[in-house]
Parts: sequence; C-alpha cells; structure tokens
Amino acid sequence: MPPIDCEDQELLDGFLAETTELLEKLDDDLIALEKSSDDTDLMNRIFRSIHTIKGASSFLGFDLLVKVAHKTEDVLNRLRKGELVVNPDIMDVILEATDLVKLLVSDIKAGDIQERETEGTINKLLPYLLDTAGARQTAATTSPATPSPASDESPAVTETLGTTADSEPAPTAAAAPVPAPKPATDAAPKKSPAPPKPVDGKGDDLSDNTTVRVDVKRLDDLMNQVGELVLERNRMIQINQDLQQSDVNRADFNEEFGKLTKRMSFVTSELQMQVLKMRMIPVEKVFKKFPRIVRSMSRDLGKEVELQIIGEETELDRSVVDEIGDPLIHLIRNAMDHGLETPDERLAAGKPRGGTLVLAAVHEGNQIIISIKDDGNGIDPERVGRKAIEKGLITEDQFAAMGQREVFDLLFLPGFSTKDKATDLSGRGVGMDVVKTNIKKLNGLIEIKSTKGVGSEFILRLPLTLAIIQSLLVEVEGEIYSVPLSSVLETIRVDQRQFHLVGGQEVLKLRDIVLPLIRLQKVFNVQQRGEVDDFCYVVVVGAAEKRMGLVVTRLVGQQEVAIKSLGNYLANIPGIAGSTILGDGRVALIIDPVAMSEVCE
Amino acid sequence: MQNALVPINAEGTHDELIQLVSFNLDQEEYGVDVLKVREIIRMPIVTRVPNTPHYVEGVINLRGKVVPIICMRKKFGLAESENDKQTRIMVMDMDGELMGFIVDAVSEVIRISGSEIQPSPAMVAGGIDQECIAGVINQAERLLVLLNLEKMFSRDEKNLFTGM
Repeated sequence: MPPIDCEDQELLDGFLAETTELLEKLDDDLIALEKSSDDTDLMNRIFRSIHTIKGASSFLGFDLLVKVAHKTEDVLNRLRKGELVVNPDIMDVILEATDLVKLLVSDIKAGDIQERETEGTINKLLPYLLDTAGARQTAATTSPATPSPASDESPAVTETLGTTADSEPAPTAAAAPVPAPKPATDAAPKKSPAPPKPVDGKGDDLSDNTTVRVDVKRLDDLMNQVGELVLERNRMIQINQDLQQSDVNRADFNEEFGKLTKRMSFVTSELQMQVLKMRMIPVEKVFKKFPRIVRSMSRDLGKEVELQIIGEETELDRSVVDEIGDPLIHLIRNAMDHGLETPDERLAAGKPRGGTLVLAAVHEGNQIIISIKDDGNGIDPERVGRKAIEKGLITEDQFAAMGQREVFDLLFLPGFSTKDKATDLSGRGVGMDVVKTNIKKLNGLIEIKSTKGVGSEFILRLPLTLAIIQSLLVEVEGEIYSVPLSSVLETIRVDQRQFHLVGGQEVLKLRDIVLPLIRLQKVFNVQQRGEVDDFCYVVVVGAAEKRMGLVVTRLVGQQEVAIKSLGNYLANIPGIAGSTILGDGRVALIIDPVAMSEVCE
Repeated sequence: MQNALVPINAEGTHDELIQLVSFNLDQEEYGVDVLKVREIIRMPIVTRVPNTPHYVEGVINLRGKVVPIICMRKKFGLAESENDKQTRIMVMDMDGELMGFIVDAVSEVIRISGSEIQPSPAMVAGGIDQECIAGVINQAERLLVLLNLEKMFSRDEKNLFTGM
C-alpha cells in the first residue's frame, strides 16, 4: 500500500468527495435491492457506483481499496447477470464489503493509511465467485444472450414501477434517476444466518461537513440581494450627505429616511432568509442511513420490521442535522428492541406479523418535528415505575403520586433500563440519556406518547437553525434578557401571593401541573429597583422533558436575534447560552433554559 | 543581585525598538505592547454578566462582536473610581480573542529599546500579580510598568471564568 503521495491534492479531494457520495447512496441502494431484486436500473446503478470507486482508486493507486472493490464488483456482476440470486446472505457479505470500503476510504481521508485486514471479507466474497468458477468467463462473453431467472422477470419491472409509484420512494431515491419501488412484502428472513457486522456508523466520519454544495440558483439570488443592499447603502450615503449640507427640510428627510429604513429592512430580511436557506440541508442526510440499521437490527433480533420514512426532504440547518443522528439511532434502536415484538408475539396479540416503524419529519412554524412511531407493545408505566423503584431512583410514595407523563420522564434518567440484562443493542441505560443530552443541546423538546399494547411515539421538536433564533425579550429589574422562543411554552401574569413553597422550592399551580419556579432576579443577582410589585410574569419554558417557570418583572416582546458567542473566557456561565445585540446596540444575554434547570437542581 | 540589570529578553535582542501604548491607572503609568492593542474606545454601555468574578464588568458590542470587559482597577485591587471623560477601554488581542480593559486614561505611544527594560523589583506592593509584570522601564522622569496581559489570568482564573 503506497502512502498518500498524490501530487495532485485536488485530484485526491475530488476522489474523496465523489467516493463518499457514492458510498452514501450505495448503502441505501443495496437495501432497496434486497427488497426488489428484479429492479435492473437499481442493480446497474449499484454496479456503476462500485465500478467507479474501483476505477478511481486504482488510478490513484490505493491497492487495498481496489482489491476489495474489485471482488465486490465481481459478485455484483454475477448478480446483475442473474448467475446469482439476491438473498440475505449475499447481501450481508456485500454490505460487509461496503463497510470495509468505507473504512478504507476514511483511512485515506484521514491521511493515515493502515494495513487493514481485508482477507476475511474478501474470502467471504470468494465463494460466490467460485462455485461456478468456470462459468464466469463464458458468462462474460455470452451473457447478453444467456437467459437468467432475473432477466425473465425484467419485463415486469416497468409494470412494478408503475403500480407502486404511489408508495413511498426509498430515502435517496428522490435524487436518483429512477425511484426505487418500496417493497410491498417483508423481506426479513426466517433462518438466522451468521450475524452481520454490527452497524456502528463507520460511514459517519466519511460525511464531510467542512464544505457545502450550494445550488447555483441560490447563489444567484444571494448576489441579487447583495446588489440591492449596495444600492440601499448608496442611497443612505446620499441622504446623509444631503443632511450634512442641510439643504433638506425635516419633513422631506423624515419621509426619505423612513422609506430607506423600510427597504433596508426588507432587503436584509430577504438576505437573511437566503443565507439561512444555504445552510439548510434536507434531513434525508441523516435518515438515509436508517434503512441499513433497521435491516441489520431486524435480522439480529429476528423481528420483521418495515421502516417507513416520511418527509425526508424537510430541510433544516446543518448544525442541527449533525446533532440529531445519534439520538435518532438510539430511538430507533429502542423502538426495535423494546417496542416491537417478535412475529409470534405479534400474531398472538392479533397484529400483523411485521411491525411498522414510521420515521417522519415535518416543519411546523420555526420548528422541525421529527417523530419515531412504532406499532409495538407500548410503554407499560407500571413496569417502568417498578424498575425505577427497584433501582432506587424513586420511592413507592413518589411513584404513587406520579402521572403518566412523569413516569415516562423516568426513562431519561441515566442508568435506567427496563431490561434485566444488557444486550449488544440496548439495556445499559445510556441511550435515552444520550437522546436527552443532545436534544437539550439543541434547545429541543421531547414528548412521549404511548399506549400499552398499541405502540409508542417519540416526538422531537427542534429549532430549524441555531444561528438566528426567535426569542422572547424579558426584563428583570431593568436588565434585558432573551429567552429562546422555541423553549417557551406560554407566558402568564400572576400574583406572587399565588406561589406556594414546597420543600424550599417555589412552585406555581398551573392547571393540573405543579411548576417549579426560578426567580431570575435571584439566580442572576440583579439588584432590586424600586418597589416590589405583587404581580409578575412567569415564562413557562421546557427543556427536553422538563418544564419550569422563569419569574421576570416584565415581558418586552418577541424579536428575531442573531446568537453571538461570549468568547472563550465567558463561555460557560451557568444559565447563559450566549448573547445577542439588540436594536439599540446593547448586548443582551440569552438564557439557556436547560442549564437553568441544572443550576436550580 | 548580579543580574539585576540584565534585560529580561536576554537573547541578544537588547536594542530592538519596542513600541508601547502607555496608560494610567491610579497615578501610575503602565505600558503594553502596541501590537497587542486592537483599538482604544470610549466607554459604551456595558451589559452586566451575572455570576462572574467581580472584575468582569460585563460585555459590550464592538461593531457586532461581543467583547468581555475587565475593570483593571478591580482586577489589580486598586481603589475604584467613577468613569470620566478620560476613561477608555483598551481592546486587546488575548491569544486570538478580544478582551477590553477599562483604564483611567490612555496617554501615548512610546518607543523604547529592549535594553531599557529591567526586571521588576522583587517586591511590588499592591494586588498586581507578579505574573503579568514583564518588567519596568526607568526613564529620566517616568517609571513605566510593562504589563504582559496575556499572563494576567492564571490558569485557575481561566477555570474560574468557565467553572463558576
């Protein structure tokens, strides 16, 4: 294996970008292929991808990569010609080989080529080439004429496509020339073959987040907007000059300046939208690795699961996309391991053999809502509660006083698991903690809906972007603070005499919940100005699964603010997420509801 | 004290010309390397930041950038005074991050040669940390304390900022 001595770095970069893209799609296509093995277009596309990877890597002299890709290509070639029939075992091996290719590519990307063990995987590929070794060469020359089981069915392909056109296309198929039909039947095998290599997101480090591909049209639009902005600036300079020479009267100036302000604000908000849009990428980027995960998990668990993906074209900020991958994997794992039952259990419960897992993304105002819904067993509050008591996380009395919501919140406690024994997949009580931590980091909310025996739904509400947020400005004795609107549930004006004291903690009875209160004045040591008013405002905020009320003096209003970092020195002030600059040029601090809840604990 | 007069940067750069920005703080004159000073501004509105050490005055908006402000008098344990027309904020580059320091007044930029810098006397009264004093400059009529502000915050203090 030669070290990376590519004289042309550009060439290498191009290779990496292209290969990464191909590999990302390959996974998906392979899964789709397993379900619809007679789709020749799909088959050819897969073949082309691996062929391109092989060609490019041999050109650049990555021998190891060539070797693996070449063997994989050979097997695929036989599949393509119908000499082999797609079955789960072959797919396992091909997927394993793809993983190896990914690993090798990520080595190259890291600039650190290692001697990886490739023989094992290659040896697994070989049997598929050897059993009819002699036929291989003849097949290469005579294949166009050779009828094969797969090509017999190929005339039906177009028809299949037509009939299933209304079903969900596979995740990446939107970008592909021909949408891959979603299988109507379940493809899960009944026998249990050798467990496939665990999917551990090796492809993740392949995804490149340092460069962005932007639609040229969006760039043109942006340029137009900037052009307009320059015009407005010139206009502003003109007005200023006129004013300096004082040959304008006040009324004229007012009118001109008013117009200018309006146009400026229009242009800047357009510009803001444009830039924001450029940072947006479809959530598909995360979603597309899930079919693969679901497939390998369903094989491991012996469950039949159909994954439906809805709204993968929904766009959100790249920073958010980067963060939601892990929590979603955990939620999917949970749904597959805890939620969905085995085929036998399902039949016994009067449900269809195969379970359904629905992953959906949708915009709602300034938020994106991602939900993971299964039609499995649901969460049994009783069982969760007993486990929590067993682990000493809560007492009997506490459990008795809990509503369903509070019981579900127990799931997020670190170390909590309803499993008695940890398996490869779950049971260590880490997953939900990861979910909570990541969602909190994004200022998101989690909601759990579950009915025992019918299924569960985990709903994540996330802000679309982290750079510019809608915020609620509040005043605390003269000081202005900003609360991210995405975590604000409601605001209420209350008489302080309605506050109750429970164990030293001020609380407010809000309908059927008891809301813990946090006095910002106290937490931030703000000096009292003037007299204490009986009435104050309570901003009800939610952080992940927690709810609390922030007590403030006055509500100032809602504003869209750009988040500014406080720099390294002041980065970790508890309860403060950052700062922003208000219309009058002053700095206002942004409250971090998540950290706030921890400060108070 | 045989080496008392040896300049601190003894690597043969004795005669290199250094430009310093000199500023006043409670009757005394101090100097910092001009290359570290980004700009000098008047007092804007400072937003208080809760739960920070007492010498952190808050943050300001410097043309769209949020910059933390340190009160030098408080940091050095000097008597506090009201801000007046002379009060300035020196915005400094601290290891790539901007930080503003409130000083009584900024007077001038002076040139000195490296050989004029003497190590600070062993006993400096007051709360100024020995750490950040890079030396003293003893000219005919003035005594200038040369500060190295990047050393102003000890490791503990940096943690204090972040861990409070």
